[in-house]
Amino acid sequence: MNSTNETDETNETDGTKAAGAPDETGGPDPSSEPVVAVVGGGRFGWGLADTAARNGRRVVLWSRRPQRPATDQIRVTQELGDLAEAELIFIAVPSPYVGALASQLGEHLDGQHLLVHVSRGMVGAELRPLTAVLRQVTPCRRIGALGGPLVAKALSEGEPGGGVVGTLFPEVREAVREALGGSSLRIYSTDDVAGVEVAMTLVGLLSVATGYARGMGVGPATLAVMATRGMAEAARLGVLLGGKAETFSGLAGFGDLLAAFAGDGRPEVAFGEALALGESPEVAAKRVGANIEGFAVARSFADLIERVGVQAPMTHLLADVLEGKMGGQAMMAALMARSVGAE
Amino acid sequence: MLAGPMSLLSRFLQSPPLRVPTLLAPKVRPGDPRIFSFNGERPHIIHDLVTRVVEQQGRDPERLLYHLNDAANAEVRRLASQRDAEAEVSLDFWRRLLHGLGKMDDDERREALKTIVSRMGEDIAGNFDVRVFGATRRMVPGVLTAIMNPSSLPRELVRSGWPRVDSLVTAEGPIQRLRELAKIGTLVLVPTHASNLDSIALGYLLDREGLPPVVYGAGKNLFSNPIISFFMHNLGAYRVDRRVRARLYKDVLKAYSCLMIERGYHSLFFPGGTRSRSGMVETHLKLGLAGTAVEAFARNVMVGDSRPVFIVPATLNYALCLEAETLIDDWLKGAGQARYIIEDDEFSSIDRMIAFMKKATNLRSAMVIRFGEPLDPFGNPVDGDGRSLTPSGASIDPATYVSRRGVASLDPARDAGYTRELGELLPKIFSRETVVMWTQLVAHVLYRHLVVESPGVDLFGRQRRRGEVGLARTRLVQEVGEARDRLLELESAGEVRVGPVLRNTRPDELVDQALEAWRGYHTKPVAREIGSEIVIEDPNLLLYYQNRLVGFAEALATPDTLAAAREIAALEA
Repeated sequence: MNSTNETDETNETDGTKAAGAPDETGGPDPSSEPVVAVVGGGRFGWGLADTAARNGRRVVLWSRRPQRPATDQIRVTQELGDLAEAELIFIAVPSPYVGALASQLGEHLDGQHLLVHVSRGMVGAELRPLTAVLRQVTPCRRIGALGGPLVAKALSEGEPGGGVVGTLFPEVREAVREALGGSSLRIYSTDDVAGVEVAMTLVGLLSVATGYARGMGVGPATLAVMATRGMAEAARLGVLLGGKAETFSGLAGFGDLLAAFAGDGRPEVAFGEALALGESPEVAAKRVGANIEGFAVARSFADLIERVGVQAPMTHLLADVLEGKMGGQAMMAALMARSVGAE
Repeated sequence: MLAGPMSLLSRFLQSPPLRVPTLLAPKVRPGDPRIFSFNGERPHIIHDLVTRVVEQQGRDPERLLYHLNDAANAEVRRLASQRDAEAEVSLDFWRRLLHGLGKMDDDERREALKTIVSRMGEDIAGNFDVRVFGATRRMVPGVLTAIMNPSSLPRELVRSGWPRVDSLVTAEGPIQRLRELAKIGTLVLVPTHASNLDSIALGYLLDREGLPPVVYGAGKNLFSNPIISFFMHNLGAYRVDRRVRARLYKDVLKAYSCLMIERGYHSLFFPGGTRSRSGMVETHLKLGLAGTAVEAFARNVMVGDSRPVFIVPATLNYALCLEAETLIDDWLKGAGQARYIIEDDEFSSIDRMIAFMKKATNLRSAMVIRFGEPLDPFGNPVDGDGRSLTPSGASIDPATYVSRRGVASLDPARDAGYTRELGELLPKIFSRETVVMWTQLVAHVLYRHLVVESPGVDLFGRQRRRGEVGLARTRLVQEVGEARDRLLELESAGEVRVGPVLRNTRPDELVDQALEAWRGYHTKPVAREIGSEIVIEDPNLLLYYQNRLVGFAEALATPDTLAAAREIAALEA
């Protein structure tokens, strides 16, 4: 049995416990629970804030330039110090900004705060996971990463779905379930933090690839091979970086990629499509209105693959394609020309 | 083998804790190290131990029955195959328990649990005799030699000391700060583990540097050396019997080490669990008992005792390792895990011990013990006043890590999380606090040449090339010099430490001294100078010594040797 609770049916009672409307179950009044904090006023940050508010929780959302007005339950602030009153803090800013922002935020926090990031990125050439960054720049230790097929729009609208939180700490798992879990969102958990973070990142990259392939007009069979082989590569890279292979067949891996295929409207796919149609990465990013993390990590992964000699040809070639050094057709030809063996 | 009077002495010393009557023990004075009061507290500690374990494991009847069944089955199996004095005494007890378990009610089972935990506790708990400690101190630094050479003990006892031992072991790191911290909180030393001499050398060095004595768990097999057994019993070591497979035993050990830290006894754990077979610095840590530091801290916070716990990483670096031959053989056999207890190594052979000590005492700084910066149990650095510091340099209350919404609590899952994180942090500290010794660098350069000369050959093929590969002395000297320069650069960047001899000696002398260090102790020559060449005679020992540098192989390489260095670096995986 792996340590991922996703497949463990008995554990799902935890998920449903957090699910019931609080007043009916006679549980604690959620409005008396500690405030939930969100760092980042992008669509995803607001999606998390909306979900917690729908669960009856008070929310404080930090944004440098607030785009949306506060609501009864969601207070908007530009002071990071205001987040200290929360217990659970979601970090929903693009990975390149996490370090500096968390470092400032960390000055207001202590060992009781629980930090959970939702970023699809890893940092630097050495591909540092963001949980490691958070541990380094803040005094917080009870940290986690929330992944899976979560998209901003569905979160804000309360569409049924699920995610997985990777953490070593039971209280982080419980706090995320209490804040977000409910009748419309199932929050599973695993202690394979590294696996979740690599899966989140590489699914981001594969989502871009999916969009790119769609933009090229490839058929369903090609897409299926791409997705399956791509995920096998992701799992290999995940294991290399300290994760467990089975995490990649769960919500953080395949689950997340399936949502991209099913057309969940995520910006990575739109970005990939735009690239295939000849737009520059800058223009494409502007158009989809999001920071595309998958694009930024492609080169670091390609370097890692070369350095270690792990089998991940698709991920390796994707870096060239996304940087415009290689065409989609050439990549396809290169992949198809490889010798084929046991799956 | 010991014979005649020695074997009698051996039996006598090995019998369960040999102690001088406590009635005659001197009074503990204020300001004495915490461990001086151990004997007075011993019965209370065992009482608390029994109460805690019985409360934890005896509450749920199913769990209780499971533990008793598991323990009885495991012990019957072990003792039946051991067939020794211990079996004579205990086997019957376990057999009767196993047969009677089904008929007992819950209260009787709880009583049985109490009896077992209490027996385990008595076996584990050490002893501390201030007089033995005092006598040991007076004999120190001769004692380090004396305990390794029991036949010379009487002679060494009357000597005032052996000054050479003093220069044999060098201490580095924030020692003054550790002295201060030992007064404020409880030190938990977590060093790398290379040799059975580690705990002895550390114990000696702590005393020499004015640091308090520590308690630590020593494998019961170490107690087979009668002199060492005597010292261990009376200097606070507790016994860990690795042959005992009962799950309950692990719980008892954990509870014991937790209680000791809670009560403020400075403690020592080898987080690698066992001696590094390969000679590499540990990268995967079990942590095990060291993990009880978090629980002990949490328990104290819960009862309003905010005495801090300080984790002190340390590296133990030998220019010459007593058990190198056995350890590397074991690693190459891939049997490191299976042979968790090696009973036939150099440590149990008095001849080898004497040969080692003769050799080692002639080397200057044959051993460097380096302490790293102290941390709190949550990986935060601590300042001179023992306050935990955040990344921005502010002080933070470590109690917040074991509290939620202002209330401190016990949570084994949470503490396992902290322990795992500590287990990931420590290898990074070990790596940068590793002190590279001259023998290791010379071995690395020679081994790298062996790899250059045997491209594409697998590890085992390469290890068979005895006496076949040589390197011109002039080139070896040059490459050692270059590698040292690179090592010094790495040291400036804070990535590793360079030992005193390696730093201050000319490359040609380094080569001579490495050959000299290996000659005379190891049963096989590691490398031999033939004409103008240095010929590799024992690739296994060479591998052992060079393995300390695998993590730095690429950084030490020249363009010509980079490919070989990469092959060496891959050994770590």
